[in-house]
Amino acid sequence: MISITIDGKNVEVPSGSTVLEAARQAGVHIPTLCDHPSLKPYGGCRLCVVEVEGMRTLQASCTLPVNQGMVVHTQTPRVTRARQFVLDLIFSERNHFCMYCQKTGGDCELQNAAYELDMTHWPLQPGWSPFPVDASNPYFVFDHNRCILCRRCVRACAELVGVSTLGVENRGASSMVVADYGLPIGESTCVSCGVCVQICPTGALIDRTSAYLGKEVTASRVADICLGCSLGCGIELLVHEDRVLRVDGDWSAPVSGGVICERGRYHSLTDEQERLHTPLVRRNGRLTPTGWEDALEEVARRLRPLRGAGQNGVAALASTRLPAEALNAFAQLFREALGSPVVTSSEEDRFLPGPFERLDNRLLDLEEAGCVLALQADLFASHPSAGFYLRRGLSAGGKLVLIDAQENSMAEVADVYARPQPGSEAALIQGILQAAAELGLLDSDLAPSAGSLSGVSRTTGVSAETIAAAARHIAPAHNLLIVFGSGLGDETAQALRTLAEIFEAKLFSPLGGANSRAAQQYCLKQPFTPAGCHAVYIALGDDQPAPDLLERVRDVPFLAVQASYASPLTEAADVVLPVETWTEQEGHYLNLEGRLQKTARATTAPAGVRSNLEVLDALAQAVGVKINPDWEAALFPDSPVTTGREP
Amino acid sequence: MAKPKISSDWLAGCAGCHMSLLDIDERIVEIAELADLRAMPITDLKEPDEDGVDVGILEGGVNNSANEEVAHRMRSRCKILVALGDCAVFGGVPAMRNFFEMNEALRRAYVETESTDEEGRIPDDPELARMEKTRALHEVVPVDVFVPGCPPDPDVIYYVLNELAQGRIPEIKDEKLHWH
Repeated sequence: MISITIDGKNVEVPSGSTVLEAARQAGVHIPTLCDHPSLKPYGGCRLCVVEVEGMRTLQASCTLPVNQGMVVHTQTPRVTRARQFVLDLIFSERNHFCMYCQKTGGDCELQNAAYELDMTHWPLQPGWSPFPVDASNPYFVFDHNRCILCRRCVRACAELVGVSTLGVENRGASSMVVADYGLPIGESTCVSCGVCVQICPTGALIDRTSAYLGKEVTASRVADICLGCSLGCGIELLVHEDRVLRVDGDWSAPVSGGVICERGRYHSLTDEQERLHTPLVRRNGRLTPTGWEDALEEVARRLRPLRGAGQNGVAALASTRLPAEALNAFAQLFREALGSPVVTSSEEDRFLPGPFERLDNRLLDLEEAGCVLALQADLFASHPSAGFYLRRGLSAGGKLVLIDAQENSMAEVADVYARPQPGSEAALIQGILQAAAELGLLDSDLAPSAGSLSGVSRTTGVSAETIAAAARHIAPAHNLLIVFGSGLGDETAQALRTLAEIFEAKLFSPLGGANSRAAQQYCLKQPFTPAGCHAVYIALGDDQPAPDLLERVRDVPFLAVQASYASPLTEAADVVLPVETWTEQEGHYLNLEGRLQKTARATTAPAGVRSNLEVLDALAQAVGVKINPDWEAALFPDSPVTTGREP
Repeated sequence: MAKPKISSDWLAGCAGCHMSLLDIDERIVEIAELADLRAMPITDLKEPDEDGVDVGILEGGVNNSANEEVAHRMRSRCKILVALGDCAVFGGVPAMRNFFEMNEALRRAYVETESTDEEGRIPDDPELARMEKTRALHEVVPVDVFVPGCPPDPDVIYYVLNELAQGRIPEIKDEKLHWH
């Protein structure tokens, strides 16, 4: 530990801390612009300069490591003049028009820094040369007139997201933040994750949807969980007048640490679907609005006689966007109480892990693995934020060996990319083991005999060089992680399992939607086969129905749907029950890691709409069955529980 | 003792700052009792008194030779000069014209406008003011008090007038400085 003195206060900090960190610990305020808690210190803006006794020049406190006995002064006239000069120069470089900027009035860190120094005008006027405005991305605008070149966006794109699309070209007054080699950002390698927009201190990067709709400083922030996929990234909803303005990543969340993706940040707000407000019952061929009692009784009346009706019973399907509380009620009502022959989730049997006793499914493994072997999994497309963990790992020196017969967007960053003939994956895996043995990287009696490598090459269509290259990365790897998707096939899964055992690899399978893991634990994992059933009940929630779902239930005599939004499915239904959306509900979600998280109620549901759980409970009551509400006990019959936010 | 004299004028501005001044509502009576309101766009007098006023207030940026003359005249006839509003303090919205060539801007205004039905002509009468790059007031004359805002809040303007009317220099900071 090191002791230093800041403005007369003594403070003790670990060796390696910066003066800025020590100041914050001591409660001393030092203004900053380019600094951000999630990024490595940069020292670019020089606003945080301080006087250090014994040092001739002023020092940037964000990058200066502490030294035993250092004496620091943060409020001297020399420091104040320097801060003033830094701001004078920043304002003089580009075109800062506060009066029509979306960030004015509290949300702009540059404006706030100027206010802190009582700046009423610009002693140095700008030269008024115009800077470009890049409006090529559908979600945000990059106005270079407002950019202060703090590089937070560049650093976030590299350090947090790992895509490194943004960079700075030229020098001095000609410096410009660019995408790739100077492409419009909407045509570049940008993945539209929006992390740069969130981290920008000024109005240079502006979120389109929330612009002018309310200030961050007057809106409420609600910590929540994204339901876009099985990760459950921590998010913060910006809510103003009972309306969600924007989705921000939660920098302090244990899942993703604020680095969320396009789907979670933008898709949940930019779609415009018709909301259902009242229960509907089909009478004389037309869906007519009615009361809850009537609608529930209409469903109950049709379900009661199907109790114990075997193959002709009711087929039930629930979306994995439903909370655990509702999934538990759903499973009990249909499987146990009504004896339904088909009770499953919207993912059916797609994401079952196969012959693996347990999956590690630890997101940090993606980042820490010395080598990741990915088989038939495209994280960048299916679970982008998991993809960011992987990208960060690759930036730190990790390797990626990708095996996929189909096109896979991870190919662009893979160190080895093998496209075997579909069905020959097991042979390829055995070939890799064989190659490892031949290269002396593996005890040959551990590798199952796969014939000659050229034979494997002929069977799989993958060259011997590629197979050997894969072996060279995999065999000696520290912390090998195997990532696999769904639909593996038994032979392939077995081969993978053997490889995992030989190299003591950890396993990762991203599963599907928000509550996939909970759905599996509630045994909602059969294929959906409604043929022969006399009724179908779909607990859709605020999900969109799969394009082929309507076709699959068309011939069933009775269809009831609980949903938030109108769709061709609800339009074909006999009874429609309106339910809450994700921002209106409170409920628990088990993410792919087995981490139990809870959504928060951020907005008010329209009058007349009920929660998914309330509807299932009411239905159970109408049918005359009891449901055990202890969703948690049923969720973890054997395994330990991980709850809430952990450091 | 004679009441302090206050005069104001506007340059390349939208008059919004003076509208905000009028938004001090009935408090203008108070100000009129403390100070002598001389030539202003809202009074009948045309120029600041030749023998000088105590406080001069200018709204708007300086974007032509006429603005420059008015700015110099006000500066020479007042003891304390106040730049009122973002245009006077920074250049403001009129300064956006600086991004274009003067010819481009004049063509857009007089020839290419949608409402021009005959062949447009850029006015070139020698008596017209000469267009210049838009500048903040303090780039042309020394300014004593800066009151930013677009427009500044009426409460801030009342505070400024009240202070000046009682012989004090107003301090624009914290809530008075912040955008709302």
